[in-house]
Amino acid sequence: MEIRVKCECGEEECSEWTIVELQGVVETQSSFQGSLQNLEIGRLCHTNSSQETYTFTVGYHELIGSKVILKKPLLVLKKLQKCTDDLSGKETELQVVGIIRTKILFKTRPKPLMSGTT
Amino acid sequence: MDFDIPLPEELELLEANSYFPEEEEDYLNFEEAPYPYPIDVDEEEEDERVAQKETHVRQSESSDINGCKRPRSSMSDPIVNLDEVSPAADKRSKIDNNRIEMEDEDWLRLSPVKEAVHVMEEEEEVTPQETILSRYASEIDGECVPITAPDGGERVYAKFCRALGDEEVKKLDVKANSNSNGLIKDPISVLLQQSEIEAFNKVLQTSSEDQNGTITPETSVMHEKLWVDKYSPSSFTELLSDEQTNREVLLWLKQWDASVFGSEIRSTTDEVLSALKRHSTTSHHQKSDSAFTRKNQFKRWSKESFSYPQKSDVSNSNTTDIHDLWNKKSKLTGPPEQKILLLCGAPGLGKTTLAHVAAKHCGYRVVEINASDERSAAAIETRILDVVQMNSVTADSRPKCLVIDEIDGALGDGKGAVDVILKMVMAEKKNATGKENVDNGKTSSKKERRTAPLSRPVICICNDLYAPALRPLRQIAKVHIFVQPTVSRVVNRLKYICNMEGMKTRSFGLGALADYTECDIRSCLNTLQFLNKKNETLNVIDIGSQVVGRKDMSKSLFDIWKEIFNKRKIKRERANDASGSEAKNFDFLHTLVSSRGDYDMIFDGIHENFLQLHYHDPVMDKTVNCLDCLGTSDLLHRYIMRTQQMHIYAYIPSLVIPIHRRVAQIQRPTIEWPKSYHRCRTLLVEKQESLRSWHHKIPPSIGRHLSIKSFVEDSVSPLLHILSPPNLRPVASHLLSDRQKEQLAGLVMLMCSYSVTYKNVKPDPALRNLREDAASDVSVLTLDPHLFDFISFKGHQFKHHVLALAMKQVLIHEVEKQKILQASGGRSGILHKPEIKKTNQDFARRTIAASNESKKNPIASNPPSASVENATTSKPKSSDVKKASRNALNFFDRFRKSRKDYEDPEDVQKRATAKRDSRPLLFKFNEGFTNAVKRPVRMREFLL
Repeated sequence: MEIRVKCECGEEECSEWTIVELQGVVETQSSFQGSLQNLEIGRLCHTNSSQETYTFTVGYHELIGSKVILKKPLLVLKKLQKCTDDLSGKETELQVVGIIRTKILFKTRPKPLMSGTT
Repeated sequence: MDFDIPLPEELELLEANSYFPEEEEDYLNFEEAPYPYPIDVDEEEEDERVAQKETHVRQSESSDINGCKRPRSSMSDPIVNLDEVSPAADKRSKIDNNRIEMEDEDWLRLSPVKEAVHVMEEEEEVTPQETILSRYASEIDGECVPITAPDGGERVYAKFCRALGDEEVKKLDVKANSNSNGLIKDPISVLLQQSEIEAFNKVLQTSSEDQNGTITPETSVMHEKLWVDKYSPSSFTELLSDEQTNREVLLWLKQWDASVFGSEIRSTTDEVLSALKRHSTTSHHQKSDSAFTRKNQFKRWSKESFSYPQKSDVSNSNTTDIHDLWNKKSKLTGPPEQKILLLCGAPGLGKTTLAHVAAKHCGYRVVEINASDERSAAAIETRILDVVQMNSVTADSRPKCLVIDEIDGALGDGKGAVDVILKMVMAEKKNATGKENVDNGKTSSKKERRTAPLSRPVICICNDLYAPALRPLRQIAKVHIFVQPTVSRVVNRLKYICNMEGMKTRSFGLGALADYTECDIRSCLNTLQFLNKKNETLNVIDIGSQVVGRKDMSKSLFDIWKEIFNKRKIKRERANDASGSEAKNFDFLHTLVSSRGDYDMIFDGIHENFLQLHYHDPVMDKTVNCLDCLGTSDLLHRYIMRTQQMHIYAYIPSLVIPIHRRVAQIQRPTIEWPKSYHRCRTLLVEKQESLRSWHHKIPPSIGRHLSIKSFVEDSVSPLLHILSPPNLRPVASHLLSDRQKEQLAGLVMLMCSYSVTYKNVKPDPALRNLREDAASDVSVLTLDPHLFDFISFKGHQFKHHVLALAMKQVLIHEVEKQKILQASGGRSGILHKPEIKKTNQDFARRTIAASNESKKNPIASNPPSASVENATTSKPKSSDVKKASRNALNFFDRFRKSRKDYEDPEDVQKRATAKRDSRPLLFKFNEGFTNAVKRPVRMREFLL
């Protein structure tokens, strides 16, 4: 069976994505009742370009991670269903949205952002 | 007969020849038949002499013939010769018998000529009148001796002139004793003195019924021999030390007999007997019958007086004695309970001598390990094991007895000897039970003994019983402390020895000497010998300068303290010499203290003991002076320790002297070892430690304002006032008024912040007296750092109010709760920290204020008023936990706000409006959860 993957953008312009891998769960506060709309998850900062270290601040936790190149790059696909013919009915098409070559891995224990300063 | 008077020519001729002058004399005075002086020559020499005399006679005869041509019978010659010789020989044999008594042969060899001249002088006055030599016994009145000529068989009778001979012997003896330094200058006085000495000797002989026989053989054989060795007691009865101690030591040694000799004698009787025989023939050969009679006498005496026959003289020379003894002996006695004998005492009292003599007396061979021998533990161990466990293969098969001399001196390098002995004794004890069971069987017991760790007596000798390293030994050993013999006893012995050596002394001088050396007989004898050698006399006044050597001056600490506190009696007759004796005393104390060197210990002892003395001191003058001296010594010591200028130590001993002068008493002080210093020191360390650990528990913000020293000195008492307010009623908390509630809360806060709490402790009997209100409880609640310790002094009742038990329990509960609150959710702690700090500083300030106030008004009532403001802040916490948690949220809001302010200032407005949205999402860390993002995905999902 043939799966057709279609890339509409050019070879160079194909947008590059990155995975943020966290060891843990990001939860909403109970007061928001699960509505994630327009909520700021946190801040991802790339600190001083020399090392590939990133800080990610979620809530009152600060995570420190690094960029890791994946062994096998991943594609981000978008599944499209077209109704082309009458006979075959639906036709599934996968469209490349982006390519993932790296991930930012936060594997250390988060640092709580607390201090007694007033 | 007619040959009596020699011709002058003949004399001249003989003198010109100078051929054996005394023979000349012999020849000339041959009528004095018993030739007086004892001749100490062998038989061959005697023969030789006879031959020589004969040649003389021949010579003279020939001269006679040449000169006067006197007619004479050819027979008379041999008779004369014989006559002349035989009395001498006779006399010699007699003297041989008596030799033990006088034994002073040397003088003969030293100055034969003078003797001869002397003899001649004596004898020229004697005119031969009565018939001395005759062919017929009837011609001689009195005793006579028949003499037969060797060749002709002719027989003559010679008269015995006993009286004359005895006199001569005495005279010569006198001469011998006067040390033969030329002719005597003052013959009459000296002779009188010598006769006195002889009389004294006789008295001594009869009084101690022994021993002149054994001592005299050794006299003057070697002139350089030390008197100490020469006159050292060679048998048990001669010992100078305390009779009781001697007997006990001997008894102890005797207790070994069963295990050491008991079965060996039976198994190897012949060997032992032969060995003993051999021994007796070698060592006791010279001793003649008198020695044996003395032994027998002694044995009889000891049997009578001691009333235990097995203790009688073993007399290593007398084999039958031993045999009898062992036959008589009961078999069941094992080695004594204490396997070690520890003799201690000042030097020169005869410890070593006693050990040696007693061991020899009991038939042991003494093996001595001295302080100068090897010291390493291994070397000493092998040596001790050799001695104690091995049987010797040498001819001398007596069992050995180990004498470890100066065991306390042997401790510097390694306590080798002590350790080894202890080990062996311990091993002995371990298998003691098994051994006793086996001991009943005779054969197996022998085997057991071979392997036993300690099967021979061990005698240890020390000077200082309380040397620290001897402590373990002291517990297992049988200890005998030597006391000084009485001065008169020492003086008697010294006098006897001086007389034996021909040294002129007076008993007063000897007494002074013995006094000075504290009855150290070794030092006395050495001094005397030294003086004798230098031909000096004992100077009574200035003995100190004459005493040349003492073994060691350093004494034990107790002796030093005793010297300091004990005033010596100044004799009445020397009262005019007081200044000199003061100076001497000064010197004595100074050297005593400085030779010991252990100054701080000495002063500790003085400090501890001097108040116990009964000195007369109405205005506390002496006490103050003594304390001044002690203070000075302390200052000096401290300075020395700080600056390490050790030479200043030289000034410390002199501080002892004023103390001595102030407080020394005639009566003996009871001196105790200074313990208070150590006790106080350990107490100090302990309290400091408790305070320090408490100080660490106090939060640093408070602790840094609180130095331990100033706390103890200034603020303990006020703090205790605050901690136990008197108006706090022990009732349920809901019954308290608001004011009291605040007060309680403040107190809890205070206790919490100073980390003081109450604790259950077992009542201390010492504390019970101090705090009688709490004493009734079985277990008492006290403050956890025991602050009351710091204000409780001996004989002082502190006035602090002590909370009731119920109140204390309430406080414990509250404090625990408060602590938990502070700890739980560090947030709340952090939240309230500034306020706490404020209150604490407040309290600290208040403590000091209270300290000022409490001086005027011991029960100050200001704590409640001051604690109001604190109570407002701290009270909600103790009442409402939920609120505390909400406070925590507030706190983090505040924190976040400040942080946001810092990071992105443009968000401030939005933050202010929508504070709630600020942290919508929280991150929850999953520990060890790795495949959080991996999910199985099927291909189908892609396709459909």
